[in-house]
Amino acid sequence: MLPGTIGVLMATEAIKLLLGTGNSLVGRLLTYDSMSMQFQEFKINRDESCIACGSDLKLTGLLLDYEAYAETGHLNLPSH
Amino acid sequence: MKSSRDLIEEARKEIPELSAADVKQKLACEDNFVLLDIRDNDEYRAGYIPDALYISRGMLEFEIEDYVTDRDQEIVLYCAAGARSLLAAQSLKSLGYTRVISMSGGFRDWSNAGNPIAKPVAMSAEQLERYSRHFMLREIGEDGQAKLLSSRVLLIGAGGLGSPAGVYLAAAGVGTLGVVDSDVVDLSNLQRQILHQTADVDKPKVDSAIETIKAMNPDVNVIPHPIRLDESNAMEIFADYDVIVDGTDNFATRYLVNDAAILADKPIVHGSIFQFEGQLTVFDATQGPCYRCLFPSPPPPGMVPG
Repeated sequence: MLPGTIGVLMATEAIKLLLGTGNSLVGRLLTYDSMSMQFQEFKINRDESCIACGSDLKLTGLLLDYEAYAETGHLNLPSH
Repeated sequence: MKSSRDLIEEARKEIPELSAADVKQKLACEDNFVLLDIRDNDEYRAGYIPDALYISRGMLEFEIEDYVTDRDQEIVLYCAAGARSLLAAQSLKSLGYTRVISMSGGFRDWSNAGNPIAKPVAMSAEQLERYSRHFMLREIGEDGQAKLLSSRVLLIGAGGLGSPAGVYLAAAGVGTLGVVDSDVVDLSNLQRQILHQTADVDKPKVDSAIETIKAMNPDVNVIPHPIRLDESNAMEIFADYDVIVDGTDNFATRYLVNDAAILADKPIVHGSIFQFEGQLTVFDATQGPCYRCLFPSPPPPGMVPG
């Protein structure tokens, strides 16, 4: 039931993106507590120094091994 | 007693006109105006001026305020030959729109000059019926449905989140749904993974997804990707889709999806769940934060369930 709620909201956001209509959740994190039946919204901001989309751009390509990265946290960037 | 010719001549005295060539020039200069097609539906479906707004003359006074809220917005109306648009423009003027113009010669002059013409995607009678509840919504309409039918969405994971997302995207008529899932249906999945049914246990999830979606909406083309998404295949797969729907459940994939989507310039609809709590956002790195802005590095293994 919880995945159902979130999943259908995901479909709604996808359709809005495809149609270019409404306000998407870009920059907002929606949380849903099914037990207390509460939705909350948090503003989320770009991290200017993000290595993927900010000024400290390190990811000009994919990492070599994401499984290893998830285990160790070590950025296995391809060498140039 | 007046004739229609009299009505048109009277309208011409109060409504300024522009030729098709003038309107073409205006469009090219990206002037801030609304180009409004007021013909009958079958005329419109046979071809219209690209980017024109469509409200048939019969519904004009009732719907114009939904589309043009500023009474001082410049509106250029056109019809087939330049007569109906004059009368329609008068009606808008009486509603309080101050800058209404009629295109003389209408769509006939536009197309005779060899100008570009757009056509709505032809929909079958069955599709017109199937999606009729979308057409009633101004935010979607027939144009929106045509857009959905030509859209491509990638579902990463056909599990707890991918199932409901996939079901609704298919029902809504998203024309192409890619499904990435290397798993096989397990009985314990059925409590929530509604893309799959009892008869599908032990089948690959992508196969089960294809069957469910085909039965629900034959307009949808399901593209199976029965693989684990990884750094060797992500870029190639992402390239073919417009939007990524990420309902995965492990950090390696979350970071991979994030990085690949940024490189491929695709937005991600991100959903996650844990016990009774869920989270949802859209990552579009051209407009806002990405996953890494929120979570710059993965948690130590064992700390948080994937």
